[in-house]
Amino acid sequence: MRIKFWGVRGSIPSPGPNTVKYGGNTLCLELRLQDQGRLIIIDAGSGIRELGDRLSFSKNAKDPLNTEIFLTHTHLDHILGLPFFAPIHNPRTRLKIYGPVTCEEDPLEDVIGGQLSYRYFPLRQHELGASIEYIDLKEGNFDIGQGVTLITKYLNHPLLTLGYRIEYGNKAICTAYDTEPFYNLFCTDPSDPSYDEFLASEGDGAVKDENRRMEAFFKDADLLIHDGQYTQTEYDSGKRGWGHSPIEYVIAAARRANVKRLAICHHDPMRTDSQLDELSQLFCNEGIEGDKVIFFAREGQEVKV
Amino acid sequence: MNHVNPNREGHLKRIQATIARMPSLSTTAVRVLEACNDPQASANDLQRVISLDPVLTGRVLKLINSAYFALGQPITSLTRAIIMLGINTVKNLALSFAILKNMKGSGSFHAFTTDEFWLHCLGVGVVAKSLAGLKGLSPAEQEAYFVAGLLHDLGKLPLNKQFPEEYFRVCQSSGKEHDPFRLSEDRMLGIDHCKVGAMIARRWRLGVSLVETLSHHHQPDDSTENSRDLVSTISLANQIAIELKIGTAGDCISDKAMLDQLTDRVGVDYGILGDFHQSVCGEIEKARIFLEIVQK
Repeated sequence: MRIKFWGVRGSIPSPGPNTVKYGGNTLCLELRLQDQGRLIIIDAGSGIRELGDRLSFSKNAKDPLNTEIFLTHTHLDHILGLPFFAPIHNPRTRLKIYGPVTCEEDPLEDVIGGQLSYRYFPLRQHELGASIEYIDLKEGNFDIGQGVTLITKYLNHPLLTLGYRIEYGNKAICTAYDTEPFYNLFCTDPSDPSYDEFLASEGDGAVKDENRRMEAFFKDADLLIHDGQYTQTEYDSGKRGWGHSPIEYVIAAARRANVKRLAICHHDPMRTDSQLDELSQLFCNEGIEGDKVIFFAREGQEVKV
Repeated sequence: MNHVNPNREGHLKRIQATIARMPSLSTTAVRVLEACNDPQASANDLQRVISLDPVLTGRVLKLINSAYFALGQPITSLTRAIIMLGINTVKNLALSFAILKNMKGSGSFHAFTTDEFWLHCLGVGVVAKSLAGLKGLSPAEQEAYFVAGLLHDLGKLPLNKQFPEEYFRVCQSSGKEHDPFRLSEDRMLGIDHCKVGAMIARRWRLGVSLVETLSHHHQPDDSTENSRDLVSTISLANQIAIELKIGTAGDCISDKAMLDQLTDRVGVDYGILGDFHQSVCGEIEKARIFLEIVQK
């Protein structure tokens, strides 16, 4: 399997002189199963535009395009690139778009299609050239053909969000963004008037179970691509509950789960290249960047598994 | 004049349509809206307000159990569901149903008022939790008993909403003739609230123990051995709530023989009823104050 990062930024596209090295496009991953030429795309952030251009207009472009897009969730930074993904305007393109349902149980087609209306875009959903099939996903274990297994796991984010584990030929690649560690939402301070002993202890038990389940999800993965938007200090300064992880926690969790390589992504839009270089010095192993066990994902970077 | 309704298929369709979009109760809706619209509302507040609403508790458990079907074991703990889903998802879910309720109104409650129904459900939940405590069950199991008690009569809501006139007659008939309530439902509507409750619990994937509670709380002997303690306790709690006249869900006459049999089976003394009355009323008063604080 080969992964290419077409967008690694979180929240909003962040172009400019401070994001040239790591890139300003929001999340989009290209996964190739090389021996069968199969293309799987994970997320349709602004990074998907360049991927779409490459697929449509390069010398090696293949027509028709038959591919699958797995959306981790439907927050804007993960879907805003879709209308600019050139192949969706080609009548010969066949797309399957997978993603989690919302708590209101609206179908994925309505949620994604919502941005394909005149008030947001010059074309409506049914005016697109490509044939698109939408598939609602929940947590589970799926055979997606050609020897590929997909395992989905709900993460901890303010919207129902899926992590994907793709297993193929004894190798596993996992995504876990956008997410933060589960924590006890209930009051745990006995001096607080709202303290309830049962809620506090039941909450603690649920948190331990869920964080254990999360690590079991990415256990022994050859590559884990994980949210690491904040440092622990930033996270502790009012960012808890925003649905993004502190880097230090992620590294410790990946080590506990015996992950072979960890790519940290969903960089904060305010994070400059020089800050990411400093964090890289602090947290990543020495050596040639491509060989590092832990690295901060960079737009355009390719990793073989 | 009582009659068997010939259009059972049509009834089932209407009931299923209500189950798909079951509105929340007006008694709790204002507080739910308030808590969910308040960015500062704590998880403790949210847990409290949802745990007072049988429909909303059911919907949260439905979401967690249908979304997380990989878990294997159904989740019946509201507390755990809130941790797993997160505050935002739970708030959004609660808001979408509270709003639905406001759009639909509550005019269909002829047979009993929403407040009376809410009181009955809460009363059965509180009594079930107390009984679980007396049996020495863990706090987590006590919560599961509370939830089962809170939800036990959910099957009445689609019947009352879809067939308000007929349901009013069912309640009247049951009150006058000491006619077993479920038989009146079956005679006049072709289905009873236990069967509808089972439909809801299955459709919402609430798990075997809640399917059995909603289905067998009038006949605990029909439950499987694994669920019998729970179903018998909910059945007893229901009879106690009826006997103590804590709200009403249409069925106003307790079954004395059943009360005797179940107190023996659950292993509690009949004399506890007096103690329960005071403690349950205390709990319900606290819940009322909690709901009314915001309604001012």
